[in-house]
Amino acid sequence: MAMLQSSPALIGKIDFVHQIMPVLKKNCAECHTEGKKKGGLSLNTLGEFLAGGEGGEVAVPGEPDESYFLELVATDDTDDRMPPKGPGLSDEEVHLLHQWVKEGMEWPEEIRLGSSGWEPQLKPRVVTLPPAQAGRDHPIDRILDRDLSMRKVPLPAAAPEETFVRRVYLDLIGLLPTPEERDAFLNSTSDKKSEELVDDLLKRKIAYADHWLTFWNDLLRNDYTGTGFITKGRTQITTWLYRSLRENKPYDQMTRELIDVNKESEGFINGIKWRGSVNASQTRNMQFAQNVSQVFLGINMKCASCHDSFIDRWTLQEAYDLAAVFSEKPLELERCDIPTGKMATARWMFPELGQIDKNATKNERLKQLAGLMTHPENGRFTRTIVNRIWAKIMGRGIVHPVDAMHTKPWNEDLLDYLANRFAKDEYDLKKFMHFVMTSHAYRSQSDLLSGEPGLEYAYNGPLPKRMSAEQLMDSIWQVTSSHPQNANAKVERSYAHKGNLPTEVKQFAWPEKINAKWIWTKERAAKINLRKEIVLSEQPVAVGILATCDNAFSITINGKSVARSKVWQKPVKLVKTDLFNSGKNTIEVQAEMFGGSMGFVGQLVLQFTDKIKVIETGPDWKAQVPEKDWSTAHTEKEYGQGPWNKVLHSSDIQDGKTGPEPPVRASLVANNFLMRSLGRPHRDQVVTSRPSSLTTLQAIDLANGEILSDTLKEGAMRLSKSKNTGQIHNWLYRHALGRNPTPNEEETLLAVTKNSPEQQGLEDLLWMVFMQPGFQIIR
Amino acid sequence: MDGLYAARFSNYSLTHRLSKMNSFEALQRRDFLKQLGLASTAALAAPSTSLWGNEQIPHPQARADSCIVIWMAGGMASPDTFDPKTYLPYEDGLEVKKILSTFPAIDTNVDGVKISQGLENIAQVMDRGTLIRSAIQPDLGAILHSRHQYHWHTGYVPPITVAAPHLGAWMSKVLGPKNEVVPPFINIGQRLEGVGEKEELKAFTTAGFFGSEHGPMNLPFPEQAVQSVQPPKGMEPGRFSNRYKHFKSLLDQNPNRENMSDFQGESMIRSMEAAHRLLQSDEKHAFDLTREPKDSANKYGDSRFGQGCLLARRLVEQGSRFVEVTTEYVPFLNWDTHENGHTTATRMKKEIDQPVAQLILDLEARGMLDRTLVILASEFSRDMMIEGVPGSTAPDQSRARTDNLKEMKQYGLHRHFTGGSSIMMWGGGVKQGHVYGETADERPLMAVKNPLSIEDLHATIFTLMGINPKTAYEVEKRPFYATKDGIGKCAKGVLA
Repeated sequence: MAMLQSSPALIGKIDFVHQIMPVLKKNCAECHTEGKKKGGLSLNTLGEFLAGGEGGEVAVPGEPDESYFLELVATDDTDDRMPPKGPGLSDEEVHLLHQWVKEGMEWPEEIRLGSSGWEPQLKPRVVTLPPAQAGRDHPIDRILDRDLSMRKVPLPAAAPEETFVRRVYLDLIGLLPTPEERDAFLNSTSDKKSEELVDDLLKRKIAYADHWLTFWNDLLRNDYTGTGFITKGRTQITTWLYRSLRENKPYDQMTRELIDVNKESEGFINGIKWRGSVNASQTRNMQFAQNVSQVFLGINMKCASCHDSFIDRWTLQEAYDLAAVFSEKPLELERCDIPTGKMATARWMFPELGQIDKNATKNERLKQLAGLMTHPENGRFTRTIVNRIWAKIMGRGIVHPVDAMHTKPWNEDLLDYLANRFAKDEYDLKKFMHFVMTSHAYRSQSDLLSGEPGLEYAYNGPLPKRMSAEQLMDSIWQVTSSHPQNANAKVERSYAHKGNLPTEVKQFAWPEKINAKWIWTKERAAKINLRKEIVLSEQPVAVGILATCDNAFSITINGKSVARSKVWQKPVKLVKTDLFNSGKNTIEVQAEMFGGSMGFVGQLVLQFTDKIKVIETGPDWKAQVPEKDWSTAHTEKEYGQGPWNKVLHSSDIQDGKTGPEPPVRASLVANNFLMRSLGRPHRDQVVTSRPSSLTTLQAIDLANGEILSDTLKEGAMRLSKSKNTGQIHNWLYRHALGRNPTPNEEETLLAVTKNSPEQQGLEDLLWMVFMQPGFQIIR
Repeated sequence: MDGLYAARFSNYSLTHRLSKMNSFEALQRRDFLKQLGLASTAALAAPSTSLWGNEQIPHPQARADSCIVIWMAGGMASPDTFDPKTYLPYEDGLEVKKILSTFPAIDTNVDGVKISQGLENIAQVMDRGTLIRSAIQPDLGAILHSRHQYHWHTGYVPPITVAAPHLGAWMSKVLGPKNEVVPPFINIGQRLEGVGEKEELKAFTTAGFFGSEHGPMNLPFPEQAVQSVQPPKGMEPGRFSNRYKHFKSLLDQNPNRENMSDFQGESMIRSMEAAHRLLQSDEKHAFDLTREPKDSANKYGDSRFGQGCLLARRLVEQGSRFVEVTTEYVPFLNWDTHENGHTTATRMKKEIDQPVAQLILDLEARGMLDRTLVILASEFSRDMMIEGVPGSTAPDQSRARTDNLKEMKQYGLHRHFTGGSSIMMWGGGVKQGHVYGETADERPLMAVKNPLSIEDLHATIFTLMGINPKTAYEVEKRPFYATKDGIGKCAKGVLA
């Protein structure tokens, strides 16, 4: 035997896709594919081919002599010859088929010459709901309960409340319930408490937007860093997106704004432009066709961007026609990068709903497309989105994968019902989530699977889900109070919106000039106290408070908490009554700086019946580093000087409402090594699912990575100050895992903290808890 | 005929691999068979990207078991390194259009083959490999380094519709790890933060749709590599192993353990186990450069790149499948000479000459060279005059434009040339002391004999590693091939 040198030319000599498929398509498809089965023989797939026809098998892989069809295509007998009409196969084609059979009839499973018979419907379908069983009359339950009973599978039990509360928080707002929130739920005696919890969480608009931003960033290929930005070939839609989520903009309107764009929302359809020339299938026009069809319709136009698709019905022409809707210039079709001479016409794929005017301007065409995409009869549009959200909440799409909407759903009634309902509910995303999460199905015990489910999947309760990279970071930051200080995303997250000033603030007589000074302690301390005492002869009618701090402050007047802020660019501006008394009054400020410059500046305007009195920060205030002596406040700068300039004159203000300020969330910061290793994608392509397993390299990062390790150190330091060791085990388990530790676990936890220096023990404790599947998996 | 049809299952068939190993490897393997239950870690339970096609594709016999790519990032000028042309020294007033090479040529230990002055050490190991002079790149209309780097490393020009895997990820996916404990794909010397075009770099330094099980372990600073396989900074080994021990106790003590043995949980536990195994193994010492005997370490010089070559050798010795070590891409620095080409090339050659030669000699001395494929390459070459290739619309990016030399900074090759470049391949299965392909002797220095495209280059590399270039995996219901659309053809003239 000569040297075992294998030349690739010898192996797999016949190329099915390029050599065999064209022959079959040309000569056999008409009678033996799609719905046709002449002689009982279908050539839709290899399986069907091998199954044979009325006369039995016609092909045996590896055995040309036993493959009857080869005889039929080669015979001179005009009665028997296949195909019966036309010139038939050439000698070369017969030889190719012969060789192909000899080599084993290689035919990738995924390639179909024709459809299996199931086509997704375009229009919505009204579903007749089955009767309720056991009093469970939520429409989702009526459908799923019947699904289960037809398979003779018992209804899944309800999830324990501890499990449920953790799941809802993470699914809806991407945060762990605090031990207090958890206890409040567990102790509630309301018989509608699950529904009330969903209602309450949906009201937390900022937390909701923070969490779902991740889903939409993935889907709309949006990020704060990434390829294309340096050459200005790409823009963000972040500000528009976040605002849309915060306002709960209806999905159809979002879609229209993403197609019939404005300056803020155009980054999605504009794609990513790389410097230089690109493959014909990757021009921005083609990216448009691919992204729009994938995101809104779950249709894959990527194959059809180069040639007629081998795996579904989409043609090169259709992909180009859709691209022509976006294109400024006429488009010539290129097959595999070679111009064909054929031109594209601006058109979309579902003329049953209406068609685009190919002669209209680009803006007009986009507007028309937006209307067609969100047409009330476009059931594919609604089915696609409800499926995506169902997959996020329940752990697996009704159609899987979620971008293959031509695949048969495992329950057609469920998909069609939800799609229909979603449209009826005016495409309200929160309402849809509410609907799903108030079903018994969502409240059930999660299913237990030993492997990634395949085609055989059948519903048996929600599926457990791995926390996304963002959820994991947010949860860790939550427990350790170690959120980053700044967001990269340019989003509006303060409680008060710009411009929505309450009347009393708008009408208040704010003085023109501000002579305040930026003050701090002389010592460069991170946390300080400030104080001003005044004596008044009468009570003011109203008080205007205008203040800000680099970086954070909270202000108390006569012991009453009035306002707080963490954002120096947004001064607190409010008007209050009943804060001051006649006689002695004390104004107290706690101020904190996060690094860099520091200073607190403010103006209080006391309005009396016949005069005003203005109190401004300055050297007549007192300052103190906590636990040390009070001294005269130190003047850092005059108001108006840099780096802050005239920030108090800004119209970008807030009301500094007391209460928890939203800390920065992972979805708002740029990707980093740790998050990338945990599955946060490089958003160069549309991404619609995250990896479901932890890999070894990720585990190494978790075991020794610096980012996590620093976070744990910081967290341990904070916790050691705020909690005493006796309470910490219970608190940690209740916050992180949603339950109390068992006595055995308690012993292990003690063993960890007992013999180590306090902080080290705490760091290790935190690590051990965060690495538990019970922490990282949402059940 | 079994050898010819050595079908390779990506995560299974450990017994098969056992039979193909030499006895040393088999000995190592036996130790890990003890932990067979944890072998192949998460990959067994995780959804693995499936092969395309209803039959296992037959693979060629592997000539090499490991691969080292020595990456000369930034566009290494071939006329000033491995493909010297007529030399003209610096002279005030010299017309630049006359300049082809800025260094004279020197002999190598292969008869009739010369390379550029400054590579004297490498000249003495040229007889262990093949010099390819005709590598070509497509004209992309405008030169952006990261785009060509992406193409070189994945075989596909971006933008593309799926996240394409890096060469190293292909090897990890198809061949699996060589030593279960050592990460199969390691990337040395390139910072991915704090450098220009870092997003584009990250875009191809990835396993793409294969999933991060096959992604790179990034070690930008070789002297700090050992930290990647140690407990976190400031944690003693004792504390580290205690932490893991207690962690496992908590796992067992979970009251819902039975109800929670789903595949996601199990794969987490397996991956943690594999991670801790590496961090507590003997293999991790390979990452520790301080353990190399001083006289040996000194032969690699003290540059980051030099130490990176040493690290690469140690990691391959310990069983990593694919290691890339680079002089690092930083826009306008290192090989990316938009000006001062001659001066910088002098420095760069000094930096690479000794370490690269030493790497080859060390592998040879350890009996590893025959089964290790070492590739030295860059994303394209450089020329004094032409940007891209003749006729390209690529805009001129030279920072030292002139018609006649007035100062030293103008002397050098400052424009990007995609018409012909050099690649050096040593070791596993490659012809020894051979030159493959040729470029013209006068400008334009196009590849005139045996031009080697990226697809064909990859086909050659894969063939040598025992991977059929038509290997395809399914993604979004379509095949994604190891070489672009499966068209890559192995350059047989390179094979021994």
